[in-house]
Amino acid sequence: MTSQTVLSPQTPLTNAITRRGFVKMGGALFVSLSVPAGFSLRASEAQTSLDPGNLASWLEIRADNFILARTGRTETGTGMSSYYAQAIAEELYVRPEMISLVLGDTDRTPDGGYSAGFLWGMYNVRKVAAYTYQALLQLAATQLGIPVSSLSAADGIVSGVGKSISYGQLVQGQHLDLKIPITGKRATIDPSAPDGNGMAGLDGFAVTGDPPMKPVAQYKVIGTSYPIPGIPDKVTGKTQWTCDVTLPGMLHARMVRPATLGSTLISVGTLDKKQFPTAQVVTKANLVAVVSPSEWEAIGAARAVAAATKWTEWADLPASGDVTKTIRAFPWDAPAQTKGNVAEVTAALGSASKTISATYELPYVRHAPIGPFLAVADVRSDGRVKVWTHSAQSQGLRAQIANTLGVPADKVVVRWLDHSGQYGRTTFGGDGAEADAVILSQLTGKPVRVQWTLQEDLAWSSVSPAYVLDLKAACDAKGRLTAFHSASYTPHQSDARLLGAVLAGMPCVQPRPGSWIATEWPYDKIPNRLEQAYGMPSLGAASVSGGLRGNIMRTPGQRQQNFALEGLMNEAAAAAGADPIQFRLDHTTDHRLIDVLNATAKAAGWESRPSPHARASKTGNGPLTGRGVCIMVRSNAYWAGIAEISVVPATGKIQVTKFTIGADCGKIINPRQLGLCMKSGVVMGLSEALKEEVTFDKSKVTSTNWSSYKILTMEETPDIKIVQISRDDKGFGGGSEAANAVVPPAVAAAIFDATGVHVRRLPLTPARVTALLNA
Amino acid sequence: MPSELTLSVNGAKHVVSAAPDTPLLFVLRNELKLTGPRLGCGIAQCGACAVLLDGEEVRSCVAPLSYAVGKQVTTIEGLPAVWAEQKGLSTADAAKTLHPVQQAWIDEQVPQCGYCQSGMMIAAVQLLAKNKNPTVADIKDAFTNTPPSPHLCRCGTYAAIIDAVQRAAQAMKA
Repeated sequence: MTSQTVLSPQTPLTNAITRRGFVKMGGALFVSLSVPAGFSLRASEAQTSLDPGNLASWLEIRADNFILARTGRTETGTGMSSYYAQAIAEELYVRPEMISLVLGDTDRTPDGGYSAGFLWGMYNVRKVAAYTYQALLQLAATQLGIPVSSLSAADGIVSGVGKSISYGQLVQGQHLDLKIPITGKRATIDPSAPDGNGMAGLDGFAVTGDPPMKPVAQYKVIGTSYPIPGIPDKVTGKTQWTCDVTLPGMLHARMVRPATLGSTLISVGTLDKKQFPTAQVVTKANLVAVVSPSEWEAIGAARAVAAATKWTEWADLPASGDVTKTIRAFPWDAPAQTKGNVAEVTAALGSASKTISATYELPYVRHAPIGPFLAVADVRSDGRVKVWTHSAQSQGLRAQIANTLGVPADKVVVRWLDHSGQYGRTTFGGDGAEADAVILSQLTGKPVRVQWTLQEDLAWSSVSPAYVLDLKAACDAKGRLTAFHSASYTPHQSDARLLGAVLAGMPCVQPRPGSWIATEWPYDKIPNRLEQAYGMPSLGAASVSGGLRGNIMRTPGQRQQNFALEGLMNEAAAAAGADPIQFRLDHTTDHRLIDVLNATAKAAGWESRPSPHARASKTGNGPLTGRGVCIMVRSNAYWAGIAEISVVPATGKIQVTKFTIGADCGKIINPRQLGLCMKSGVVMGLSEALKEEVTFDKSKVTSTNWSSYKILTMEETPDIKIVQISRDDKGFGGGSEAANAVVPPAVAAAIFDATGVHVRRLPLTPARVTALLNA
Repeated sequence: MPSELTLSVNGAKHVVSAAPDTPLLFVLRNELKLTGPRLGCGIAQCGACAVLLDGEEVRSCVAPLSYAVGKQVTTIEGLPAVWAEQKGLSTADAAKTLHPVQQAWIDEQVPQCGYCQSGMMIAAVQLLAKNKNPTVADIKDAFTNTPPSPHLCRCGTYAAIIDAVQRAAQAMKA
């Protein structure tokens, strides 16, 4: 096939379109990656499917006007698939419904990257579309004989000077290539990677260069409530979920987990072949499973085998009631990260006439999806591996699986399908049932589907670790803050090892304990600021399973750090006798924060007065009402939350009656989906504020079903009011996180308003509230 | 030991070979390839596996196959036909009409991950069969306090579900 340049290489906006050849039927433009000089590929990999030059295209525009867009990122439930379609449609001058998306398959998508990292993902697809649009204009200019400057496009049709041509017609009969410049690297195992999760390249590729982008004022698609493409199939039962994958000869597996987090295998229970004729026990080190062609037989056989399997005793975990004590007792060294000036803040705190100090505590919580982990794997004797997953990091998962099995990454294909939400636990490419599945498939020589049980998921998946945070602030004569110091202490938050690989004693990614400062605390009028984050190993880290493997969870780090910082702000406002919203306004010049606070306060009908309320009381059998506020700045988005609650001091029972949440996410892409994310984020935040705590004894997790790991129910969901501010001049901001994190500090402040007692630990169960009020 | 049992699912009869104590969920999913109901907790605590048995919600993760014999099983795949029959729609109209609950779930964009939503829609159909005009309090009560457990959504779509149930109620009255 002859390559012919049809656009001049000096075209300022794009690399050249090349014509690979002519075709009799159809025709298409393929928009794929241009590998920069010096791109790091080992020689042995250059000829494999991992050669980015051979990767699937970002975009395909076909002669029938069908547009296919591909990204290695996935739909996590927060509407990414809408936003990607909208962003591409906007820059490509087409309607979003003209675009079909392929998500998350390592062999069918060009890039990788965090599925939660929507801003980066959208940055890529917008640029790809913008490059492509310029190339299409050039093609049209050539075909119509009209200069580009006289052309415009709408709905996939280029027009000018009375002539028009569709994108499909532009590619008709041709096979065209457009290369897009990129930078970055694919996901790999890298023990020296700075983030501590043991992985590099999790950001995926980034498109470089600066193609002209459509001015925000001309947007037609961004800013509209385009529906999520996958929803109709989800409500009619047509979606193929990860759990629906079936393969010829596939075995169903149920895992037999160790008796404790640190137990090792003594002996495996024997299988009664009369009762379970087609079941089989599979073991590798401390990884034990029962497989069967019948799922129900696998379940029964696994239960029987589990009852007869012997494990060593282990009891080296502190019980969950002793977590703060354990964190305090750790021999802390230097912080993992420091932001601010140690000397100035120390001096300011030392010389202040008045200081406020408080310690905040957050328990272990977990992601707890409704659908437990599941994976299907087919490991062939020639080393080829295929994994069907719902991980939010397909490329990272591929790297981890290849590492565990000791095969080149190009032998591993990861296919992504919808499944239960992940809420961050698979963001680093680990955690999940995938290692179980590939190990069992390798050992049995058959495709294996591993379904974790809820009890297993709530006991053995990664957790969001506890935090202890010490806050100290100095105030001036008017009570305004002049300095603050925050120090957070937490176990490991980046251990996304795959449990199956850990228990089987196979190679794993090597994460390192640590912590980071996640806050963007926007009170610029506080002159002296010091934040320090300390990290320690996971509790039980020395055990064979790695103990309580700490991992990130929705709004990671900032959720916990903001709980303390905003708690301090509420305490300082109360000490100053100031209204908590006015107190915040008095500490910032950031107009986006000021606007979102004012708009949210107005929507909530906020009455300016200090907390606690004049009728606040620690006792009584009747309900007392209170209100509280919290803000957050995250990923170029500003948030404010206002909780209204009632609490009965005698019983400690809290009812959140209304929650008002405001967001300025820059230019809002999809107002309806943002609203839905804001409301659902509030539900998750209330769940954490009121109910959630992973409990454990010295051996194992004890909160292993929905009666013992309680999450919010519909009845406990308050009236949720949303406020949105869209700005054309601030870019795009993240809308899927933060909502959950503004809730707990606002609820805590509302309880203080109602009772006069500061709340510094979650969850706010009736027992904890009564204990607090009686203290 | 496996037995040959006849099941009536979404209006069609199926002969299945399975042990009578097999939970209905595994027969629907693995034998009949009806994957609308999904495994959540496996202990009737979440509702992801809910189906209708003669119009009453059951948790198919614990309901034994034998319990479903002689009853009409309805999964979300069968909801359009239930509505078509209720409204006496022509075959042509039925083919392009979803159950109002499903349509409301689309119109309100309820699912986020969507894992729990089959069960949520089943619960909505049951509620609307008994209460044609439910208040917000009625909906909260039905989805929380109907035995054996609350219907749980971890993505937190409860507010959208409430809106969708009310939208469906209006559509079903029209």
